[in-house]
Amino acid sequence: MDPIAAAVLSSWSLDWGSICLLLAIGALYFRGWLRLHPELPHKYTIGKLGCFAGGLLTILLALESPVDTFGALLLQAHMIQHLLLIAVAPPLLLLAQPVLPLLRGLPRWIFKDALGPFLASPELRRVGQAIVHPVVTWLAFSAAIVVWHTPRLYDLALRSPGWHQAEHACFFWAAVLFWWQVIGVWPSHPIWPEWAMIPYLLFAGMVNMGLSAVLSFSDHVIYASYAAAPRLWGISAIEDQAAAGGIMWVPGSIAMLLPAAILGMRALQTRRVLPAAIPSRVLTRRRPRQWDLLRIRILGPILRYRHFRRCVQAAMLVLAVVVAIHGFLGPQVAPMNLAGVLPWTHWRGLAVLALLMAGNLFCMACPFTLPRDLVRKFVSPRYHWPAFLRSKWIAVGLLVTYLWAYEAFALWDRPSATAWIIVGYFAAAFAVDSVFKGASFCKYVCPIGQFHFVHSLVSPMQVGVRQASVCGSCTTHDCIRGNAQQSTYRRGCELQLFQPKKLGNFDCTFCLDCVHACPQQNVGILYAVPGQRLREDQSGSGIGSLSRRPDVAALVLVLVFGAFLNAAGMTEPVMMWMHQWHARLGSMLPVVTVMYAAGLLIAPVLLAVACGWISRLGAREAWKDLTCSFTLALVPVGFSMWLAHFSNHFFAWWGSVIPAWNWNWIPSLELSVLDLGLLLTLYTAWRVAGRFAAGGRMALAIMSPWAVVAGALYAMGVWIVFQPMQMRGMVMH
Amino acid sequence: MTRLLLPALAIVAQATTFADGGTVQLRKEVGNLAITVFTSPAPLSVGRADISLLIQNRIGLEPVLDADVRVILHEEISNSEFQVDPTRMQAQNKLLYAAPVIFSKPGRWHLAVAVGRNGEKASVAGTFEVAPAPARAAAYAGYIAFPPVMIVLFAIRERLIRRKSRG
Repeated sequence: MDPIAAAVLSSWSLDWGSICLLLAIGALYFRGWLRLHPELPHKYTIGKLGCFAGGLLTILLALESPVDTFGALLLQAHMIQHLLLIAVAPPLLLLAQPVLPLLRGLPRWIFKDALGPFLASPELRRVGQAIVHPVVTWLAFSAAIVVWHTPRLYDLALRSPGWHQAEHACFFWAAVLFWWQVIGVWPSHPIWPEWAMIPYLLFAGMVNMGLSAVLSFSDHVIYASYAAAPRLWGISAIEDQAAAGGIMWVPGSIAMLLPAAILGMRALQTRRVLPAAIPSRVLTRRRPRQWDLLRIRILGPILRYRHFRRCVQAAMLVLAVVVAIHGFLGPQVAPMNLAGVLPWTHWRGLAVLALLMAGNLFCMACPFTLPRDLVRKFVSPRYHWPAFLRSKWIAVGLLVTYLWAYEAFALWDRPSATAWIIVGYFAAAFAVDSVFKGASFCKYVCPIGQFHFVHSLVSPMQVGVRQASVCGSCTTHDCIRGNAQQSTYRRGCELQLFQPKKLGNFDCTFCLDCVHACPQQNVGILYAVPGQRLREDQSGSGIGSLSRRPDVAALVLVLVFGAFLNAAGMTEPVMMWMHQWHARLGSMLPVVTVMYAAGLLIAPVLLAVACGWISRLGAREAWKDLTCSFTLALVPVGFSMWLAHFSNHFFAWWGSVIPAWNWNWIPSLELSVLDLGLLLTLYTAWRVAGRFAAGGRMALAIMSPWAVVAGALYAMGVWIVFQPMQMRGMVMH
Repeated sequence: MTRLLLPALAIVAQATTFADGGTVQLRKEVGNLAITVFTSPAPLSVGRADISLLIQNRIGLEPVLDADVRVILHEEISNSEFQVDPTRMQAQNKLLYAAPVIFSKPGRWHLAVAVGRNGEKASVAGTFEVAPAPARAAAYAGYIAFPPVMIVLFAIRERLIRRKSRG
């Protein structure tokens, strides 16, 4: 092939974001189509599926292919792109009757809870009907075409990628509205008779023709950007413009005339057949079977394998030993030492991403409990964990100490200190669990475990019961007591979480002991609505009611405020401030101590108490209960900060390894995560307020102080994202 | 999983990228070659940008695909200087030679382009303005506006539900 032709054909501007978005829309339609096709095989045919795929493919061609790349240099390429977006993609998509398949393809909660009230609203239906009125659609389409072809706006779009996208969006959506009435898309009913669509199309064709004539016959170059662009293959700007006019004229007119002709023939042949009504049963969503990770092919059997956890723990144990040895013996430069990179950059990043995508996978793979498990095969502990220590207060104290020590002693920068922490962790887990029964260390001591217990409350998966009725007839309670199947003892839950009464992921280490112990195979890793347990006031096995536990509230406050304090400590302004005080006092220790005492203890306690008292003015509940309940609502915004912060370090590290890739999206990811965290916190607070208030206004009043705190934390998170951040554990600072 | 997929896709879709091409900063004919220099984004500002070049035969304007290109950028006041070697591999439009650059300072930047091909050498020079960095918050305004928009939509949703339950 000619090298220039090869270069042209390989000039794809692949934007993976757009491709993923188109794939997701395609998958959504396909999911809905799969559900509708068996019910309405004549309405949702394979042809319709093909039309939708063709429409998406046309958009891909228009936005990603050489047509887009050369649109900046050649007006004719740009015109082909616009024709694809106006005259090809929208009709193909609408011929697929996309509304119902897309709605049926959506997850049930979006369809029912989020969109349902809007879809049922008479006002919004009226607005929808007004928007698809032929007069409105014709005017919108013609106006979009004419306005965007004015030299000022066209040049603006060529200069600015943002305006270029706005131009394409205007063309595409105006065309969707234009073709809506021509094709007759469900659920709108025909407003004009079918024959009226013929002049509708012809008049639009005339507008198109008028513009084409201006481009074709103009004696000067209309768009300054093309006048300034270098000419390719000797095609002058005026020749290019005339060719673009021809493309707009001929294929553009065919796009209008062909459907007009088809409609004309149909009008002559027969009376219009109104589209058959869609049976209401099709619109009603059946509750699908609960999603269960353990039932996924290949992955499910692997997870259910009896020794799966041991294998993962053993791998992590080997890794921990290697990291500790390197920490002691390797170079004491964090970026060059495994103890400086793996725990602080990769492990933390992967742990929070796992919490977001699945659940408490870290505890599942925890290496610290493996040695004590091996020893327990020979020696059993004799004592129960003391009753007065059965709370999270020890863990709260350890967490505060850890967060303070991390900053005060620059743990991330001292591989040997990291190695000592790893060794200390093994020793502590071994010591506690050698003396006390069950998983006392995990439940009452381990600060890392508490971090995962709290944040896995917003994870999308939980270990839970598949069918409650099966547990109803169970008398052995193997999931908590354990059992001896096939002469092998299967351990029950060491954290005292009785499956039928277990709520959410709190205190659950994902050890899957209950999965193996249940003789009915009635325990799975099920889909869970993220954050649902934060807004409910139910008492769960082994944990009681979270909203009545001050120790849990304190744990949450430390984790939430710790997230922002820990991230802020790495930003340039805060570091400058700390160094100024360091210079004045001669030591960093008092600076960090005051900062953490204020930010991690005093401020959270004062704010929580104050908010509890303010909420109490609207609700006749004890301020302590209100405080404990609403504090839980702050978990999502705190988790979003941990996620934004740790994923920033994780991806920035990879960015330094593969600099050729585009890593510009990291701030976008961080801000999106913070957005979602804030919204989930506000939603949770709203639902918690609903427990204490009868009316909406009262609920709003009760939750408002907490909403202010959440908003302030979010604002601080956004500020942190925009600050230069110290890239700890990396050579590049 | 779709619940996770949708926000993730929205994030990816909004990630900004610079395409090559863009504003024509310089176009000169030297020897047998016609050299056009583009910059993106428009207007140029401190931060990440893209410099791309179209090298053509002066006669017939056929694109030249086998040249060696080097660009030296210099800013007077701060005396900042760096060089990049644009290649076709780095370009989206494979007729162009492109390279990503990071402008550290605003002001008037001098550009010197050296093109070598079959032992023949050509060079062109020019200047262009780089504006101060736009506020980062402005670049990400959509993300900051997202929560208020969702809160308003949620309020409408709650209102619709309450009205329906009253009715």
